Amino acid sequence: MTTMTEQPPVNYLRENCTMPFCKGCGHSHVLRKLDEALRETGLQPDRICLVTDIGCIGLADALFPTLHTVHTTHGRSTAFATGIELADSVLNNSGLKTVVLIGDGGAMIGLLHLVNAALMNADVTVILCNNFLFGMTGGQHSAFSPLEFITPTTPMGNIVPPLDLCRVMVDANGEFVARKLATDPDLSGTIARAIQHPGFALVEVVELCTEHAVEKNELSGRSLSEAMERQGHSMGILSEKALRPSFGTAYRDKFGKGCTVSMPRLLQQEYTARLKDRTGIILAGSAGERVQSAARALAESAILCGLHCTQKNDNPVTQGSGFSISEVVLSPHEINYTAIENPSAIIVVSEDGMHELIQQKRFEHLTSFSLVLMDDSLPKPKTKADCIAAPFRKEFGPKKAAVKALEMYLRRSGIIPVEALAQTLLR
Amino acid sequence: MKSLLPQYALRTGNQMIAEGAIRSGCRFFAGYPITPASGIYHRMIELLQGQGDLAVSAPDEISALAYCVGASMRGYKSMTATSGPGWALMVETLQYAVMTEVPVVIAVVQRLGPSTGGATQGAQGDILLTEFCTSGGYTIPVLAPSTPLECFELSMLAFSWSEILRTPVVLLTDKEVGMTLESVNYDALATLEAASRGTGKADPGKAYRTYNFEGIEDIPPFAEVGGPLKVTMTGSAHNKSGLLKKNDPETLEVLLHLEEKIRHRRDGLALVKRDFQTEADTLVISFGITARAMKDAVGIARREGRHVSSMNILTLFPVPEKQIIRAAERVSKVVIAEENMSGQYRSVLAPLLPGKKIIGVNKIGSMITPHEILDAL
Repeated sequence: MTTMTEQPPVNYLRENCTMPFCKGCGHSHVLRKLDEALRETGLQPDRICLVTDIGCIGLADALFPTLHTVHTTHGRSTAFATGIELADSVLNNSGLKTVVLIGDGGAMIGLLHLVNAALMNADVTVILCNNFLFGMTGGQHSAFSPLEFITPTTPMGNIVPPLDLCRVMVDANGEFVARKLATDPDLSGTIARAIQHPGFALVEVVELCTEHAVEKNELSGRSLSEAMERQGHSMGILSEKALRPSFGTAYRDKFGKGCTVSMPRLLQQEYTARLKDRTGIILAGSAGERVQSAARALAESAILCGLHCTQKNDNPVTQGSGFSISEVVLSPHEINYTAIENPSAIIVVSEDGMHELIQQKRFEHLTSFSLVLMDDSLPKPKTKADCIAAPFRKEFGPKKAAVKALEMYLRRSGIIPVEALAQTLLR
Repeated sequence: MKSLLPQYALRTGNQMIAEGAIRSGCRFFAGYPITPASGIYHRMIELLQGQGDLAVSAPDEISALAYCVGASMRGYKSMTATSGPGWALMVETLQYAVMTEVPVVIAVVQRLGPSTGGATQGAQGDILLTEFCTSGGYTIPVLAPSTPLECFELSMLAFSWSEILRTPVVLLTDKEVGMTLESVNYDALATLEAASRGTGKADPGKAYRTYNFEGIEDIPPFAEVGGPLKVTMTGSAHNKSGLLKKNDPETLEVLLHLEEKIRHRRDGLALVKRDFQTEADTLVISFGITARAMKDAVGIARREGRHVSSMNILTLFPVPEKQIIRAAERVSKVVIAEENMSGQYRSVLAPLLPGKKIIGVNKIGSMITPHEILDAL
C-alpha cells in the first residue's frame, strides 16, 4: 500500500493539465496561482483539503489529484469546510488546512456560512472567484453584479448595487480579508498568506467571465481594478491581524481537559408505597414559583417507593411568565399512555394556574373521587370534586406554596410516605 | 450504592438519545435551538464539552447538518437534532450525505405541522416527509423509539447502522417521547457497543477509490478526509473514484448501489416488537408514542376477553415487510394507529396487506388515547 505521506508528490495542480474553462477565463489564473501558493506554504498534499462549491470554479477538484477534495452543494462549501476544520483542529489537531473555492453565486447563497466561519474564526481559507455572474447556468446576474451590468436576467441593466463581501467579512471579524485581481502578479503570495493565517481568511479574486460578461458590458481586464474602486470596493489586503485564537485553539484551551458534567440522579427503592393502581396528579401555578420542581420531587419520591412515574411540564412559549403546569402519573406498573384523563388530584396555587386549568376544562370532568387542593386566595372552581383551600402562599410564600400543598396531599392520601418527598427535597 | 435493587432516574427521551449517542462514541454534535428537540442539544453540549469533545452551536439547521457531515468526513461520529421546520432545511444536506456516503445521525423530534405549526404539541406527521425527501427516492433508515429506554437503544442502533451502511440515519421521535420525564431503569441500559466505520485501504499497487465496491450491495471501505489516503468526495453523480462522469455505466452502478446497499440488508434492519395471540383476528400496528396507547388498548381488550395481536414497529424504514406480512397472515383486520391526519404510515403498509380490512386510527393535536384505539378494534 502506498500512502500519500510516504510518497509526497511534487505537484498539487495536475501537471500540464488542460483547464476546463473558456478561453481567457480568470479561473485558470486563479488555479495556477493557488498551485503556486500551495508550493509556497510547503504543505504536504495530504494536509490540504480542497472544498469546492457549485459553478465553473467547482470543476477544480479534479485538477488537484493529490489533495483531499470535497465537492459540495451550492453555497454550502464553507459550512462543510467548517465541519471538517473544527473536527480536525479540536479532535485531531493534525494541522489539516481547508481551502474553499467558491463563486459569487455560491458566496451569496452561502453568506451565512461565510459570516459564521468569520465570526468563529474557523481556520478556513475561502477563495471567492467573483466574475459578477452565474457563468455555468448562462450568465445570469448575481448579488455581485455592478450597477447597469447587462446579463440575460438584467437585459436593460442591473439596478441593484453589488455586495461588498469583503466589508461584510471585516465587520464579521474576519481576520484576513483581501480583494485582488486574478491577474495580480502577487496573487499567489496573498493566497499563501491567507492559507498560512491561523484563522479565517477570505480572498476575493475579481475576474472576468469571457463568455458572458465581456460582450455587452464595457469591462476589460485592465479596467477591472478601477471599476471596483469606482463602486467603492477597495482593492488589496483589507484586514490582516491575528488578534484572537482560531475557534479550534480557543475550544481546546477551554474544554481540552474536559469539565464537570451533571449526571442523572440515580435512585433506588427505599420506601414502600400504598399506591395500588395508576394515579394522575396535576400541579398548577405560576412560572418561576417552583411548580415543576415540586412535581419533579413527587416523581422522584415515587421512584424511591419503587413506583413508575412520568412527568409532563407545560408553560406558555415565553417560558418565564404566565402559568406553569405539571402532570405526574404514578403507577406500580409500567406506564404506557402518559396523559391524565381523570386526575385523582389537582393542586393549584396561583391565579395563572387556575386560569389555565379552567381554560383546559380540567375541573369539569372531575368526579367526587378526586380532590382539589388550592390556595385560599383563589375562587372555588365549578366541580364535583372535593375542594380544600388553605393559605399556602400566605404561610409559606409563593415559591414554597406548591411543595407545601403537595406535602399536605401526600399526608392526606397516604399514597407515598412524606419522608420520601422530604428525602428528594434534601438535595 | 445502597442495595442491589435497580437504579432509576427521571429522564426524558431527549436526554436518553444524547446518552445513547455518547455511548455510541459520538464525538461531534452541531445544534440549533428548536422545541421540542433542544433537550438533545443541551445534553450533547454538556456531555461532549465535559469530555473535551466537540459540541458546537450552528447559525441555522443547514449549517448544523453540514458541520456534522464535514466532521464525519474527517472521521468522527456526528449527530444533530431538530424538529419539522429544521428538518425541512436539512433535507438538502441529508441528500448530500446519501450521495457522498457519509455516516451521520439526525434526531427528528416531531411537532405539529405544517410550517412552524405547534412548537409544544406532539405529532407523528413527518413520517412521509422524513422518508421520501430525496430526489430519486432513496431509502433513509428511520428508527422510531417509543420510550426513553428505546431512545437510548435506538440511538446506539442509529449510529451502528449509519456507520456500517455509510449513510444518514434518522431517529424519529416526537414531543411526547422527547420531553416527558419518565422513570428509567439505568441497570437495563444496553451494554452493547455501537459499530464503527472501518478503515479504508487501497488495493495493492493502486490508489484508494473513495466509493469502491465489488458487489453492488457492498459498502465502500471508508477513509477519512485528512487521513493518509487521498479522498475524493462529491455530491454530484460520480464513478467509484468520486469523479464526475455523466451517463457512464460505472456512475449509474454507483447510483443504484446507494439504494442496493440498504435494500440488500433490509431484513437485518427490520426491528419490531410483537405481542401476538394465536386466536387473534385483529392485528394492531403502531409506533412511537402511539404504540404506548396501543399497548394499553390491547391490555384492556384482552381483559375484556378479546383476542388481539399487536406490533410496535421500531424500524419504520426500510419497512419491515416480511414481519408485517407474516403477522397479518392469520388476521382479517389490521388497525393502524398514528398521530397524523391521513394515516401516513398506513399508506405505506396498505399495499402489503391485500384482502385485509384496514382501519386507521388518526388524530392531530393531542396523543391518541387507548380508548380511541379500543373503539377501532
